[in-house]
Amino acid sequence: MMSQGRTLTFNIFRYDPQQSGDKPKMVKYQIEETPGMSVFIALNQLREQQDSSLQFDFVCRAGICGSCAMVINGFPTLACRTLTSKYPKGEITLMPLPGFELIGDLSVNTGKFMRELAERLKLWLHPNLDDVDVHRLEAPMAPEEAAKLYELERCVECGVCVSACATKQMRETFVGAVGMMKLARFELDSRDQRGVEDFYHVIGNQDGVFGCMTLLGCQDNCPKDLPHMQQIAYLRRKMAVALV
Amino acid sequence: MKLIYTDSLVVGAGLAGLRVAIASKERGLDTVVLSLIPAKRSHSAAAQGGMQASLGNTVKGMGDDEDIHFQDTVKGSDWGCDQEIARMFAHCAPKAVRELTNWGVPWTRVTKGPRQVVVNAEKVTIEEAEEAHGLINARDFGGTKKWRTCYTADGTGHSLLYAVDNKAISLGIPVHERVEALSLIHDGKRCQGVVARCLITGELRAYIAKSTTIATGGYGRIYEVSTNAIICEGIGQALALETGVAKLGNMEAVQFHPTAIVPVGILTTEGCRGDGGLLRDKDGHRFMPDYEPEKKELASRDVVSRRMTEHMRKGKGVDSPYGPHLWLDITLLGRKHVETNLREVKEICESFLGIDPAKDWIPVRPTQHYSMGGIRTDKTGQNPQLKGLFSVGEAACWDMHGFNRLGGNSLAETVVGGMIIGKYVADFCEENSLEVNTGLIESFVEKVRGEIDELIEGEGSENPFVLRKEMERIMMAYVGIFRNGPELEKAVSELQALLKRAKSLGLKCKKRHANPELVEALRVKRMLKVALTVACGAAARTESRGAHAREDFPQRNDKEWLNRTLASWPDENSLSPELSYEQLDVMKMELPPGYRGYGINNAIAHPDTDKREHEITQILSQLGDDADRHQRQHALMPFNVPESLMAKNERLNRTVSNEMPVGEQG
Amino acid sequence: MTIKTLLPASSIPGLAGHPWSARADKIQSATGLLLGCFLLAHLHFESSILLGKEAFYQVVQILEGGMFSESGHGFPVLTQIFSVFILLVVILHAAVALRRFPAQLGQWRALRRHMNGINHKDTHAWFWQLVTGFILFFLAPVHIFTMITNPEIGPNLSAERVYLDNAWLLYALLLPAVVIHAMIGLYRVAIKWGLTANRSGLRKVAKFMIIYLLTIGMLSLVSYLFIGADLTIPVEPYIPH
Repeated sequence: MMSQGRTLTFNIFRYDPQQSGDKPKMVKYQIEETPGMSVFIALNQLREQQDSSLQFDFVCRAGICGSCAMVINGFPTLACRTLTSKYPKGEITLMPLPGFELIGDLSVNTGKFMRELAERLKLWLHPNLDDVDVHRLEAPMAPEEAAKLYELERCVECGVCVSACATKQMRETFVGAVGMMKLARFELDSRDQRGVEDFYHVIGNQDGVFGCMTLLGCQDNCPKDLPHMQQIAYLRRKMAVALV
Repeated sequence: MKLIYTDSLVVGAGLAGLRVAIASKERGLDTVVLSLIPAKRSHSAAAQGGMQASLGNTVKGMGDDEDIHFQDTVKGSDWGCDQEIARMFAHCAPKAVRELTNWGVPWTRVTKGPRQVVVNAEKVTIEEAEEAHGLINARDFGGTKKWRTCYTADGTGHSLLYAVDNKAISLGIPVHERVEALSLIHDGKRCQGVVARCLITGELRAYIAKSTTIATGGYGRIYEVSTNAIICEGIGQALALETGVAKLGNMEAVQFHPTAIVPVGILTTEGCRGDGGLLRDKDGHRFMPDYEPEKKELASRDVVSRRMTEHMRKGKGVDSPYGPHLWLDITLLGRKHVETNLREVKEICESFLGIDPAKDWIPVRPTQHYSMGGIRTDKTGQNPQLKGLFSVGEAACWDMHGFNRLGGNSLAETVVGGMIIGKYVADFCEENSLEVNTGLIESFVEKVRGEIDELIEGEGSENPFVLRKEMERIMMAYVGIFRNGPELEKAVSELQALLKRAKSLGLKCKKRHANPELVEALRVKRMLKVALTVACGAAARTESRGAHAREDFPQRNDKEWLNRTLASWPDENSLSPELSYEQLDVMKMELPPGYRGYGINNAIAHPDTDKREHEITQILSQLGDDADRHQRQHALMPFNVPESLMAKNERLNRTVSNEMPVGEQG
Repeated sequence: MTIKTLLPASSIPGLAGHPWSARADKIQSATGLLLGCFLLAHLHFESSILLGKEAFYQVVQILEGGMFSESGHGFPVLTQIFSVFILLVVILHAAVALRRFPAQLGQWRALRRHMNGINHKDTHAWFWQLVTGFILFFLAPVHIFTMITNPEIGPNLSAERVYLDNAWLLYALLLPAVVIHAMIGLYRVAIKWGLTANRSGLRKVAKFMIIYLLTIGMLSLVSYLFIGADLTIPVEPYIPH
């Protein structure tokens, strides 16, 4: 079993942008570690017992929904599935995900970002047929294609790739990995009517694949281990030969 | 006071809510969705297994149709469901699956030729047909006669939610994120919208709409441990309850799953036991054979949950800071099996427990999983008491699940129910005009404002987190898997004491904007009422049906309890809900009550059952021999769905004789 | 601490593909690849001095086309022409690579803040590429100009440059900068265009190459210093026995 009876020290970023006069600061909290404790459990205990104003976001707390991404000891990741036993020194520093609108403390507005991105890049299926007859047998799809699509669709929009990307941090207008991965998913989908030119118009530029410097913070931190490197390289090759 | 007007207002941006919003928007109606969180984070995403729809493409689903899906659903509900709803649902499920294909869901497809599958822990080779190649596949699920559960690898809910939300984005449907509805605006007859609070700025807004659809999911979080997301707190049900008019149905029907990990309550699949995993107690003793010598660990879900609880009550549970638990041992299956066939379980164990299930035992205990009960609606999804109030998905008691839900039917209900009810909601919006009574709106906004003022400035000193924990503990201890009169009474009185204390809540954090403690306080008051309807309903129902298991009344009693519990809260200051009952009419059932197929058949029969069975035989014999299954079904229990969904479902049919050949509608 | 919010907005009105951004990206990779390969060859030729003056002399003779010259000493003009070519490639590479530099103070700060907050190896590697690229921006042209104006290469002539003209100072800085820049660059080009999926293997190769190239480069430099210290003035070109 996991170590028991340790006292953990949490250094937590605190700032309420809506509170006039409040300044960003790091605040230290101490908590008794219990077996199997995750950052999710610890933060809730802190809120319930020590500081009821502490803001953070959890929804599924099972690594599925992507709500709870934050920077833990320098690594952006999902807090719900980060066990405190991972840190032998018992010191855990929590920072909000950089690059997103800060709601307060550890809570950032990833939802707003993702929705705007989806609207900008038109991240939905543009089916070949506007309407299908839902009473009739469905059109077949190659089983391998379906499996490949699912592999790319596992993104949970947690925002880790955006915050782990130095390119995105330096160049605000850069699409970032999440946008490119989603376009790669639709590019692959035989049901989508958009051709390479359509995608080229969206990401065949300095804000898209040609702005990416292949730092791979996206791939290395992605909690779903998505193949950013291969997919972005694939898009880049495709765009590099398109219309040039 | 900020007022926002729209035609179709939807509260909750999970699959069911979004599907209704899309249906409204497609009819050109102005549509607004409110959500606590970004839509794609909704709990719908967590449904990994799949959704049931009788496509019958895979060889193991061959011969499947709406009839069999309907029967499985009704039996699964322990005859507590509304059979017409179950029919509407089974009829439209294939349509929803096919529609979602065009919205981008990458359903796992059938690959022609032989493949190896595991059935009853044995390797079996099945041969998929040439003509089924590339069509939507299905997997096996508990309680179904056919392989009927359509899926996308291990993330069906995720794929569906993303496809449906993407569709909503493409239609430009606004989702107001981080907004919490706190009160329904109504005059006792007509629902006119909601009062909602922005969780970021704290601003109070009135959303005024022709129709208000509540799609906020279940109320699992009134329990200490639940597989549900932490936002499944039953606030939608509380909104309806607090109107004093609208009624909730079957709130005591709560499903428990035997093996969720401790402490976080994340599910480990039933496949662990299916493949040969064992349950052990604190002494390492395999205890299930002591209780169920025949089926052991593989007894049905509710039985295993009950036996585990019984064993822990005897002090055989393993103590942990998070309460007692038992062990799930899959080490005997061998590393190879765990790493290939139970990959997901392995990942969960690694990420959340830091253990290796190929060599360590997994701490598990039965955990709240699904809420069959919810806001009572008619067939169109509208609440019978409040015109303009609709509900859909787990939030509703549309009532296709009765007292026990079948695996794969929850995800299906969200999109199928959303598809059907969405059309009815749009109809309603087209047929009705916006009712705006500014005085009424103001009074409701002021009431919520007053409630917040009282919490922040009042003299109260009760801690919302403490009350919440206490409520969760009571529900877990006395309104859990096993229920009995004395404990339920205890639960009711303790919850009532908490509800009284909740009148003097006080906050340490006095912010009016983003303030987690304020959110908690506003919720706990509402959750306590929901918890009380569950406890009171359970205390009153002196029988065992589906997931509602009374130790003191172990028989299913169709004679006295073939009904639906309705709960309302007419007196705001009362400490308990008002219960009434809605009879299920056996004489209208297509499938009269019978033996569910588990344990001993000890049900007390309803006097009409024999009569109806006789009548059914007669009706069928009067039909000509050439009557097809649709005509036979229609003669027994006609049902309606919106016109555009009435058409029959086409299926691939290879050998089944009573169906038409490929390419024709059957 | 500052709070910065990024928006998923586009800098390009109306969204459009830019053929030039595709071209620039391709040019950067192609010139980088060319320069990287050239460097690998260059350093190995250079290091033939470790095998003795004779070996180095022979390498130079071959490269300067000694077999075609009557004297057998080759044409130093070849070095000049090639140096001009490399200079042009370097200029082109630098010109397109400039797009990547944090042009504004805000970008530089964002980068520093990011690196302080997020622990990520490849980003740090890129940072070093950025720094070395900046150094090379100044040092590489100096080296290449020298080769254009003073193209004579030989065991003694080169040693004269290194030791007596104090070029070792330049080389001591240039060598690590160019090796680090080029190896990280080649690693990045390979993964950027998806030439390989085996990133960890590639990373090991890059690390090994950095150490290896620095070692042979430094040893060569040291041996030139030793040769240079032994030279008599005026320096006579080395003639093999």
